[in-house]
Amino acid sequence: MKKYFRFSVLSIVFTYLLIFIGGLVRVAGAGMGCPDWPKCFDRWIPPTSITQLPDHIDPEKFNLVLAWVEYLNRLSGAFVGFIILVSCVYAILHFKNNKRVVFSISSALFFTLVEGWLGSKLVDTVLDPVTITLHLLLALIIIGLIIYSSIQAYYDIKGNFEKDSFYPYHIKYIILGIFACIVIEIIVGTEIRGGLDISRKDNPLIDGVILLKMLGPFKYIHTILGVALLGLVLYLRKLIYDNNYNSSEYMIYAVNSMLILIGAQIVLGETLVFFDVKPIVQLFHMWFSSLLLGLSIAQYTLWEISNRK
Amino acid sequence: MIKRGHIISIIAVLVFLGVGATWVISKATQSVKVLPGVIKQVPSFDMTSHNGEPFNRDSLLNKISVLDFIFTSCPGPCPIMSNNMKTLYKQYKLHPDLQFISITVDPEHDSLDILNLYADANGVNDNRWKFLRSEMRKVKKLSTNGFLFMSDNLPAGHSVKFVLIDENANIRQYYNGTDEASISILRNHINLFLERLRNSV
Repeated sequence: MKKYFRFSVLSIVFTYLLIFIGGLVRVAGAGMGCPDWPKCFDRWIPPTSITQLPDHIDPEKFNLVLAWVEYLNRLSGAFVGFIILVSCVYAILHFKNNKRVVFSISSALFFTLVEGWLGSKLVDTVLDPVTITLHLLLALIIIGLIIYSSIQAYYDIKGNFEKDSFYPYHIKYIILGIFACIVIEIIVGTEIRGGLDISRKDNPLIDGVILLKMLGPFKYIHTILGVALLGLVLYLRKLIYDNNYNSSEYMIYAVNSMLILIGAQIVLGETLVFFDVKPIVQLFHMWFSSLLLGLSIAQYTLWEISNRK
Repeated sequence: MIKRGHIISIIAVLVFLGVGATWVISKATQSVKVLPGVIKQVPSFDMTSHNGEPFNRDSLLNKISVLDFIFTSCPGPCPIMSNNMKTLYKQYKLHPDLQFISITVDPEHDSLDILNLYADANGVNDNRWKFLRSEMRKVKKLSTNGFLFMSDNLPAGHSVKFVLIDENANIRQYYNGTDEASISILRNHINLFLERLRNSV
């Protein structure tokens, strides 16, 4: 059982790393680094020089750096898929009686395969914006399922670590509200990001900050919802710190991490708007949002466990 | 509850990711800023554009040009090529130093009137996109010797490539005019050349 837990934690760490690398592909503009899929320029090891290109692929498409960045994402994807597969096997072997664990990790494995297929569609459609967003959302669903499964397994191993806590019932709605806010923020964020791309194509050679100003009302929704999210998390923190509820240290840990991340998100977001649309800032802005979503799912799982007494 | 060691390792991970990602991004940015080298000079030629003006090699100077060979009654790849050209033409509406040139490989059928209609149909309303016409013999020569295309079987066997030409009438790169991934590389190169042209003035 512990083995499963270890592997599921490993899956979480590597999936987050993979989301980071995926974001890196996006900001580095390396999405079409390999014009074919799953191979790269018809090779399992991408070319290291233009002389290695096969005849049927236009040499103008070859860019050594972009090819290897894109391929790093595919290799890491395959590796993460393997770790999740191993986790899944351990879950089926050792958690026969815990449907929550087995079902969520198996779904994660299934969605990982879909994610790979979606990656191939991205290449086919030359980075269709909707498919890019789906590719990210699916990664978030996968990480959410693994986090849920992992915490549920921890419960089986450790016993009920939430047995002393008595959260008020409406904390569920606060947690779900936070979750919804984060999901909407991510979708609106990808819309802003995609809009910026389209706008950049339609207005070549114009500064990113100006393009951002030209974008529609999405960006205001993003800010307003961000403030609402901050308010909700502050309220949640107040509830969790209320002595009457005797919150678990995990819950406290999660809400405080969330607060720190939201602070960082505000700083990163404003940097993008007021200074420059720097790829590295975009990357961390996206990645932190995925961490926030993970924390939110962890909180929901903790709340669910606190009800199982 | 939170150990100091934890905070330090979290910061270390973030710094590591940040430095690594910055390095990759800068490598990637540099790699797409490389201008394609000169393939060859465009030889001198003499044609007429759809609005009746003469168009020759000098018309290529001091501008960035994207050029292709088409014919208006072509059923196959030309509509796709012209559609892609049209998209670029619209996207670069604020850049008069970028011109688009389509040379007909079927001058017998494609009179200036027909080229004019074709221009209208593609939404051409300014001087940035020109449709050129000349005698078949000259077109064939330009296509073969000037642009190194196979031109044995014209009009149907014309190339589907877009050619990028710099401000000194040098051929810089060929792109598949029917392939979106190729066009996005072309777009990047256009931006690089326009930026260079702007900075040199």
